[in-house]
Amino acid sequence: MTPLIQLDAVTKTLKGQGRPRDILCGVDLTVRAGESVAVLGRSGSGKSTLLSLIGLFDRPDGGRYLLNGRDITRLPERRAAALRSAEFGFVFQRFFLLKQLTAAQNVAMALVNGQGWLPRRKRRVKVLAALDQVGIAHLAKQKPPKLSGGEQQRVAIARALVREPRVLLADEPTGALDTETGNLVIGALYAATERGCGLILVTHDRDHAGRMGRVLQLTDGVLTPATARAGV
Amino acid sequence: MIRLSGRLRSSLIIGVQGIRARKLRTLLSMVSLFLGVQAVVVVQTGASLAERSLLSESELHQGKDGTLLMYLPSRADTIPVALDTLRGRSDAVAVTSTRAVIGEPGVSPVNPGGNPFDGTDRYGGGYGVICDNSGCRSINGPADSQAPPGAAIELQLIGLTGDVRQFRPYRLESGRWLDFSSAPSLSPQIVINKQAAKGFARHRVPAEMRIDGATADPTPRIIGVVDDGGYQPAAYVRTEELLNWLPQAALGSGDGGGLQLLLSPSATAVEQTLRARLLAGGARAEEIHAEPVNARERAARELAIMRWVFLGMASLVLLIGVAGILNVGLATVGERIEEFALRRAVGTPRSLLAGIVLAETLLTGLFTAAAAIGFGAAGLKVLSAVLGDRETFLANVEFPWQAGVAGVIAGLVAGILGGFVPAVRAARIPIATVMRA
Ligand SMILES: Nc1ncnc2c1ncn2[C@@H]1O[C@H](COP(=O)(O)OP(=O)(O)OP(=O)(O)O)[C@@H](O)[C@H]1O
Ligand SMILES: [Mg+2]
Repeated sequence: MTPLIQLDAVTKTLKGQGRPRDILCGVDLTVRAGESVAVLGRSGSGKSTLLSLIGLFDRPDGGRYLLNGRDITRLPERRAAALRSAEFGFVFQRFFLLKQLTAAQNVAMALVNGQGWLPRRKRRVKVLAALDQVGIAHLAKQKPPKLSGGEQQRVAIARALVREPRVLLADEPTGALDTETGNLVIGALYAATERGCGLILVTHDRDHAGRMGRVLQLTDGVLTPATARAGV
Repeated sequence: MIRLSGRLRSSLIIGVQGIRARKLRTLLSMVSLFLGVQAVVVVQTGASLAERSLLSESELHQGKDGTLLMYLPSRADTIPVALDTLRGRSDAVAVTSTRAVIGEPGVSPVNPGGNPFDGTDRYGGGYGVICDNSGCRSINGPADSQAPPGAAIELQLIGLTGDVRQFRPYRLESGRWLDFSSAPSLSPQIVINKQAAKGFARHRVPAEMRIDGATADPTPRIIGVVDDGGYQPAAYVRTEELLNWLPQAALGSGDGGGLQLLLSPSATAVEQTLRARLLAGGARAEEIHAEPVNARERAARELAIMRWVFLGMASLVLLIGVAGILNVGLATVGERIEEFALRRAVGTPRSLLAGIVLAETLLTGLFTAAAAIGFGAAGLKVLSAVLGDRETFLANVEFPWQAGVAGVIAGLVAGILGGFVPAVRAARIPIATVMRA
């Protein structure tokens, strides 16, 4: 079976102030449908950079990126946007909800993005189903400022799930939550892998990482299977 | 209903969400733009009104645009040939001008030389210069003429072979206009202009008319008053009736002399026939002048410089408004960086985001234009109601559509200018940097 995601020797150099820094120096990664992968690493090791390459926010400088066996290393932005819409779901440490919109409207945002069109009624059905998956369908009409952190993050997960993506990318989704709420959120993400979705979870939490099928460690720009002591 | 594409529908939803979230800002942008658009609307309105007033004046004095004006030399045989050629035609009219005095016989008129009555009152006797075929001479009131002054007024008697109002839309003030379809009457029916009416109202004059070169003094019947836009007293009469008292050769002895013809643009055959007959009769080609009335172009040319100067100033004001929109637009994009990055992350194409930002400012520009046009139209109505009696060019004016178009264009241009930079910024927001945790 062709892997969902396959990275071969991917490199990325970032030019901030000062001289360019090699953040990723040959990352190899294979993720299959239904598989869950945790990525650990020191702060500043490049985990978020890696996710932004996989999620097509940015392009690698070297190496190869195959999605479903298709080479998408150098993809024009227009096609990348279409893939982000159709194939990926994103969850971030900050929830990135628009506070003037209701929970349902925030979820619907992933459907109202200029990529295809669903009539209002079908949109509603999908949005409610996604909210239901993360257990907060009853909060559909609330606006984010009135929701707890855990509820807000679950709205964000519902937004990531509403288009039934093939890959979920989560960048420290529990970073702003207490342990118990964090567990709930990880559970909601993991549930998606049971429906065949691939999951890449960046986290500092060993317990959360341990619930994934595989745990990887990003050190010096290279991904390796995690040892017991490495990590936080 | 028209099926809108998914992109358009999405952008509508996103755009409306954006405007609803920032009503106050949208309002502030509109306020900053309002004066500029208003200035453009006002300048355009003024230019249109001025042009129309120039045009209507020229329509009265020369003729509607496209009318062919012909001037024929005043030779003894010209007038008979012209009258003969025009007989029975409705698309061409010959105009002759003859000096006439109405009133007591044997006195000199109160307005020698056919001067306007306002002028004679103001200067106390109508001193001035009169020019005709025989050259210019000064008229120094009663002292200069042999006859004693009396109750009589002098006017231009204008003979018409057909209905001149198809070319020059004289406004009927009262009574009726000459009827060219009936048989000519023995006592001439005349329609006087407003200036002449003033004279008749001020001076009680008997209804006897002395015409230069006439074989008898007829008694005219005044059947109507028209506003012909002229400043001198004049009376209009059917040429056929005039010829009951006047030999053909005596026609055209008044101001300007000669014979003027007004031809509709389609009457080219008349022009050619007439020209051929006159040339055969010995007239020289350069004596026959023909030119179409081209007032619209001339008025536009006369107003062009003024209009551009004022439009330039209005554009400056508009530019300040654009700066306002730009300012608000940039601030808004700065505030919405996360929203735009997020929308891009969930797959919204950057062109769509740029389009939405542009569409929001365009809508702002259009709303402003609508407000400015409404304000301008209402203001014009009020102005016309208040000042219309005093300033004739303001009397029952309609808001000119050109001003509406100019306002909409100004609003759109301001929207594009003010929205372009924010739109490009919105499209360039890098997702990776914003969403990094
Ligand atoms: N736009 C940028 N330009 C230059 N350098 C950058 C840029 N963004 C991030 N970096 C640097 O790249 C390195 C990797 O950043 P990244 O955000 O991927 O780390 P991370 O592993 O996600 O860290 P954390 O666990 O703190 O989120 C950091 O040292 C950061 O300073
Ligand atoms: Mg990070």
